[in-house]
Amino acid sequence: MFIHSQFEIVENVLLARDTYRLRLHAPDVARSIRPGQFVMLRLPGTSDPLLGRPFALYDVAFDNRQQPAFLDIVYLVVGKLTGALAALRPGDSLIVWGPLGNGFPAIACPHLALVAGGIGQTPFLACIKAVLGKQSYGGLQSKQTVDKVTLCYGVRRAEFLAGVDDFRAAGAEVFVATDDGSAGFHGFVTDLVEQLPRPDRLIGCGPEPMMHRLALLAKEWAIPCHLSLESPMACGAGICFSCVTKVRTESGWDFRRVCVDGPVFDAAALVFED
Amino acid sequence: MNLSVQLGRLHLKNPILVASGTFGYAREMEGVVDFGTLGGIIPKTITRQPRQGNEPPRTVETASGMLNAIGLDNDGIDYFLANHLPYLKSLPTAIIANVAGKSEDEFLELAGIIGRHEGLAALELNLSCPNVSGGIDFATDPALTYRVVKKARDVCPLPIIAKLTPNVTDIVPIAQAAHDAGADAVSLVNTFIGMAIDWRRRRPVLGNVTGGLSGPAIKPLALRLVWQVARHVDIPVIGIGGIANIDDVMEFLLAGASAVQLGTVNFYDPTASVRISGELPEALDVLGATSVAEIIGSLEWRM
Ligand SMILES: Cc1cc2nc3c(=O)[nH]c(=O)nc-3n(C[C@H](O)[C@H](O)[C@H](O)COP(=O)(O)OP(=O)(O)OC[C@H]3O[C@@H](n4cnc5c(N)ncnc54)[C@H](O)[C@@H]3O)c2cc1C
Ligand SMILES: Cc1cc2nc3c(=O)[nH]c(=O)nc-3n(C[C@H](O)[C@H](O)[C@H](O)COP(=O)(O)O)c2cc1C
Ligand code: FES
Repeated sequence: MFIHSQFEIVENVLLARDTYRLRLHAPDVARSIRPGQFVMLRLPGTSDPLLGRPFALYDVAFDNRQQPAFLDIVYLVVGKLTGALAALRPGDSLIVWGPLGNGFPAIACPHLALVAGGIGQTPFLACIKAVLGKQSYGGLQSKQTVDKVTLCYGVRRAEFLAGVDDFRAAGAEVFVATDDGSAGFHGFVTDLVEQLPRPDRLIGCGPEPMMHRLALLAKEWAIPCHLSLESPMACGAGICFSCVTKVRTESGWDFRRVCVDGPVFDAAALVFED
Repeated sequence: MNLSVQLGRLHLKNPILVASGTFGYAREMEGVVDFGTLGGIIPKTITRQPRQGNEPPRTVETASGMLNAIGLDNDGIDYFLANHLPYLKSLPTAIIANVAGKSEDEFLELAGIIGRHEGLAALELNLSCPNVSGGIDFATDPALTYRVVKKARDVCPLPIIAKLTPNVTDIVPIAQAAHDAGADAVSLVNTFIGMAIDWRRRRPVLGNVTGGLSGPAIKPLALRLVWQVARHVDIPVIGIGGIANIDDVMEFLLAGASAVQLGTVNFYDPTASVRISGELPEALDVLGATSVAEIIGSLEWRM
């Protein structure tokens, strides 16, 4: 069950190089969406691009009556839709359907480490706020279930770092890695993770090689790990079977739809290609 | 306003159906689409054995459309009967099962099994899936089409719909063969085979290399095929291909379709089916019609 409607843009601000935060006045979606879920976005009045595109929940913002009213999306400009999004202004509208996907599982542990590669950071702000009991989502009671959250955030260059202040303000300890050493740790974010104190749980979101590495690390450390996948999608709603990933089953593996069975999966259940 | 249509032995309360493979197993759309407003639902193609389907990427957007090579990913008929059919039967609309066999015998077996189940409105034979390696494209050959439809007809008491491929030189003899074998209707079309290339990587985009083109891009092609079959073969036609709004529906009805199926539009406009079925009476009124039946094939032209 999801909502399909047109909503007005109230903000569209630059956060970092090619990276924007979009705020939509979408109370129906804002009330029910949970961390780790996503929405599909589409431009009204055009069929180019034709299909919707998936975007993770960044955060829910409240109106002056303290009611959930706004949906925040953070996007990186990579192509057709995201290019068009960057040109939209407050007062323009977007077609939205959601909330979609399973969202993050309930997490209760002393130390949770989040690992983001590039724009894979977007699902983590709401996650941090939820587990630290800072904000309630989807009408659930807010409750702190994690003592400490570390976010390891890797980007190509410093200019792509987006929302670091948001993560810190939410209560996470943030460590940055860049491919060229222009900020923080010089190298892969997964190498940075290995140098930090071992957490009790991991959650990752980013490019496939990063997720694969993280899955192996979690296995080595014998700690639970969940990964949020970014498979290309056509419908977001489970009706097209485009977005599949290999998931282990009793008899081997089967393709599962990332949009309905995910996007968050137990890393141990995923089959990675070498 | 009488929105109902009759296709051979199949009666539908209105002509708006949702196409196989583009509406999952309906459950995914619960609470989003009011199923009662639809003429019927055709769940994803069912095969005898479970099939994992093709490697991703399975779809890619193209100009005004998309290519897909899903590869009939499904859990097989036993799973369908146990886990999807009870739910589907509970919905307030016609449910048309769609099956694909690897061989004539497998079609026969599937049709026999479906025929033994209560609560289904019809059986659609997917004679035309372009994405199954090693599979036979039955609907490229009139003789094969005849044999498969005849066998299904013999073992399954439900109305039979033969779903045809547009990837043929002449679709008319194939529709004729389906008619001769006793099909109640033909549905056309399935996707047009196509391809996309990522030249920078020197690779095809789809895991399966080729895929089926669907969406608004194919509408004029599908419309012409529907018109052609409706003129030349005495069988009810279900029009499919790029239908995205009420205008498209009216065009197909005038071209000779007795009903239509919405496919790709469900992906990018998930409530289109409900909106379109709601707009049908008003569109009929524009033509001064009081029933769908009276406008089917009512296109006027001089040649
Ligand atoms: C569950 C989920 C959540 C997501 N959340 C966010 C988010 O919060 N913020 C954000 O910026 N992006 C997010 N994405 C990715 C986002 O959906 C794509 O960047 C977007 O679809 C690109 O659309 P476009 O029209 O701009 O690009 P297109 O014109 O469609 O494509 C441009 C280029 O990007 C490639 N591409 C497109 N989509 C993907 C993909 N999913 N993975 C790899 N390559 C791709 C294409 O092959 C092409 O080379 C998410 C994806 C998923 C599945
Ligand atoms: C992703 C996708 C999956 C499909 N799967 C099936 C299928 O399983 N069985 C079938 O008979 N047709 C299948 N089709 C074909 C559609 O039912 C329809 O014939 C075709 O897409 C043309 O209509 P459209 O342009 O409205 O989508 C599929 C189409 C798409 C796009
Ligand atoms: S995107 Fe259509 S099934 Fe997942």
